[in-house]
Amino acid sequence: MKRRTFLGHVAAGSAVVSMPAFLSGCGVPTAVSLSDQTPQNPFMDWFGVDQASVARVMSELTANGADAADLYFQHSRNNFVQLEDGIVSNANSRISQGVGLRVVIGEQTGYAFTEDLTTASMLAAARTAAAIARGGDVVAPQSFVAQDMGGMYTTSMPWADVGIDRKLPILKFVEQKAKSMDPAVEKVAVYWSDQDERVMIATLDGRLVMDHRPMTRCTVTVTARKGEEVQSGYSNIAARQDFAWYTEDRLTTMVQEAVDRTMILFDARRPPAGEMPVILASGASGILLHEAIGHGMEADFNRKGTSIYSDMIGKKVAEPFITIVDHADIPNERGALNYDDEGNRAGRTTLVEDGILTSYLHDEISAKQYGLKPTGSGRRQSYKYAPMPPMSCTFMKDGPHTKDEIIASVDRGIICETYTNGQVQIGAGDYTFYVKNGWLVENGKITAPIKDVNIIGNGPESLQRISMVANDARLDTGGWTCGKNGQQVPVSQGIPTVKVSTMTVGGENVG
Amino acid sequence: MSDELLQRAAQAAELATTAGANDVWASARQGRDVEFEYREGALEKVKDTTSRELSLRLFVDGRYSSHQTTDLNPDRLSSFVREAVAITRALEPDEHRFITPAELFAGRPDADLDLIDPTVETLDRDQRVEWCSVLDDVSHANDKVISATAGVYDGTSMAASVSSNGFSGSQSSTYCWFGASVTLRDRGDKRAEDGFYAGGRHVDDLPDAAGVGQTALDRALARLDSEKGPTMKGSMLVDSRAAASLVSRLLGPANARNVQQGRSFWSSILDQQVFSPALSVIDDPLIVRGLGSRHYDSEGIAAKRLPIIENGVVRNIYVDTYYGRKGGMTPTTGRASNRVITPGELSLEQLLGEVGDGVYVTSWLGGNADSTTGDFSLGLRGHMIEGGKIGRPVGEMNVTGNLKDLFARIELVGNDPYPYSTTLAPSMVFSDVDFSGA
Repeated sequence: MKRRTFLGHVAAGSAVVSMPAFLSGCGVPTAVSLSDQTPQNPFMDWFGVDQASVARVMSELTANGADAADLYFQHSRNNFVQLEDGIVSNANSRISQGVGLRVVIGEQTGYAFTEDLTTASMLAAARTAAAIARGGDVVAPQSFVAQDMGGMYTTSMPWADVGIDRKLPILKFVEQKAKSMDPAVEKVAVYWSDQDERVMIATLDGRLVMDHRPMTRCTVTVTARKGEEVQSGYSNIAARQDFAWYTEDRLTTMVQEAVDRTMILFDARRPPAGEMPVILASGASGILLHEAIGHGMEADFNRKGTSIYSDMIGKKVAEPFITIVDHADIPNERGALNYDDEGNRAGRTTLVEDGILTSYLHDEISAKQYGLKPTGSGRRQSYKYAPMPPMSCTFMKDGPHTKDEIIASVDRGIICETYTNGQVQIGAGDYTFYVKNGWLVENGKITAPIKDVNIIGNGPESLQRISMVANDARLDTGGWTCGKNGQQVPVSQGIPTVKVSTMTVGGENVG
Repeated sequence: MSDELLQRAAQAAELATTAGANDVWASARQGRDVEFEYREGALEKVKDTTSRELSLRLFVDGRYSSHQTTDLNPDRLSSFVREAVAITRALEPDEHRFITPAELFAGRPDADLDLIDPTVETLDRDQRVEWCSVLDDVSHANDKVISATAGVYDGTSMAASVSSNGFSGSQSSTYCWFGASVTLRDRGDKRAEDGFYAGGRHVDDLPDAAGVGQTALDRALARLDSEKGPTMKGSMLVDSRAAASLVSRLLGPANARNVQQGRSFWSSILDQQVFSPALSVIDDPLIVRGLGSRHYDSEGIAAKRLPIIENGVVRNIYVDTYYGRKGGMTPTTGRASNRVITPGELSLEQLLGEVGDGVYVTSWLGGNADSTTGDFSLGLRGHMIEGGKIGRPVGEMNVTGNLKDLFARIELVGNDPYPYSTTLAPSMVFSDVDFSGA
């Protein structure tokens, strides 16, 4: 089936209006997979290209030589729906389609993209990208061998088949729940997004990699008033999941978090300023790993020597009970991937094993330079960008302590529980994360809620100062997005409860 | 080109009307972006791209939605628009959702803002490589350099919009920037790093390439041997570049949406003396060659100068048509253009002298602010101010407080607005600031 007819089918079946099924237990209609319908390569059909045209463009792209080259075809359909003031009166849909063309010689990259998928337009873009290379002899493949599809995010129904009318009741449900949980809740806003993304990568070594990536997120924002004082807070859940994932229980948990996080702000204060022990609660505190070590382990920085971790592989960087990994193969996680955006199998990288720094996160350029296999970490925001190596799902494994032991060990410090954002300087190693909610700990006991403090530390120093690790590791359910080099990619993070013996806590009431 | 874009927008609007939209706002965009980057004396990356997009805002039976696509194939575009109209029909009606009233288009300025430099389109590879080479040379000119990346970034963007109630307009602009980032060997495994980016609308707005490389290198050198500063309460001098970012945080929730949704510390402070008399901010869309300049905003509202803060008194916030109607506020514009902070009399050196002792902030690291309460906490890098002079470099510190309170305590404003941002802020001095460090 060629693209046009196929799309016609999708448009007809792309249920704008469908039977309301939410909360009635029948949200899983018959799945219709692409391969059932099309005897040919469904992705090639989808993009309206064939083996010959892709080969021709690859040949043009590598006409001046190449160590590596790829064509990155992408089609993504994003839907957004918003509820504010009790009304669902704003929605957005977006189609982004294009092909990115990249040629790599040594550490040099030529890049172009086009949104016009005609052969003529792709050839013109290929010539532009190829201009960086000078000379060299490469034989481009005449055909591309389709690789196995992965199974990291098998869903029962693509988002394209879920009509907006089925999403509306969910938004209403979330709003009603939030309003029912506390009379002080004045306003509730609910933001919904879903995405269907098709990626097809043709590589210079003749592989054809295809991936169909779903993504969804639901966010609830709560504004509450007590007298003159107004506070707001939010919570969100995100995953590579389908419509059936939004169960009543899951949504209720999310709403409860948002209401709790908001209501506690009326009693919360700023902690004292300065250095103190910091306990990071399990889950979202994985932001520590993302900022304190994760970015510094991305091999693009290390091959240039600009990371503080550039000369530390094989060295002891943490206590022996600490193991930190980056896994892309956790089914349906926001950071999960079958293949990275260079067409390599996304997999598992151990950053720190039993306290020893073991491996960077590599894309093809750095792997070649280090004489290693890529770790499947080459990712990009879209066809508009060349790949780079960010994290996927980064977390610390369980340690020997318990959460209660950790809290009991602190005389005067804080617990950090929820976060909004973080940042790191790769070279100096200084990093921060912003704590939205947390607790004061005095004499081994939780005493009072705290809010709105930035925490700052130095990556390698903080790793050395992780003195206790509990046995309650979990991944955060909220949706995190990693910004790097002007690109944004979805990631996941997690951690057990840990204690960092000292960090600098933003605070007030300095004497 | 703008005629072609206008036509493209008009055709899309017609498709939507045919599909049943009562009102439609259609925009077509196209752009070219070119990026040349050097590292360690060799070309590392060349990116040359053209992109396009069509966007629609639809009003159907009292309902509203918006849509974008990069797929302009006529058949697929038709089905995309039909589907978009059907999506709109599936939403709930909202009495405040309707197209920008034509009276807000009125008085659209036609002054030449000089946002297009035709020479940008004619820049060739050799010219870009030559600039890269100069930037690269200068930013490497120190034994401590581990790595430096330098780049030239230029491009053109064009957009045209038409509406079913008579709006028609197009805006285009060019840009051309230099940038360099430098990493230096510091103590132990640490690296000192910083960078500098500068440019403008025209090629002749570009500063000297060697100067940009030198500034990047100097900024990185200034970070060597940085240590954690003390936990203290004291004065904070924020340099112009960091001040632009801080003012952006202050103005972030100064809009009708945040106010109407109950998530803004700017609620109910109109015409009140909330901030220091030293603070005046005007939104000025009409600056010649301005990075945020325009004749109309994304809703078609005619551009005009809008005082936001006058001597500490709040005069206006950013009000779009929808949240304005819903919240009972008169529309101004929903989107900031150039935010100009009125400069003071004193130079940076004089400000340092006035402060005597305190902290000089040159950049922020992470941090955030609560838009509802204004509570903030930010990581910082900079120097101690000792005896009126820039002293030892410090980092790994936070500054914490409330944005409303902080901007009530501006003591002095410098005469050195930062030109390479849409927020044109000079250096600023704040008193009684809480710092956390060692």
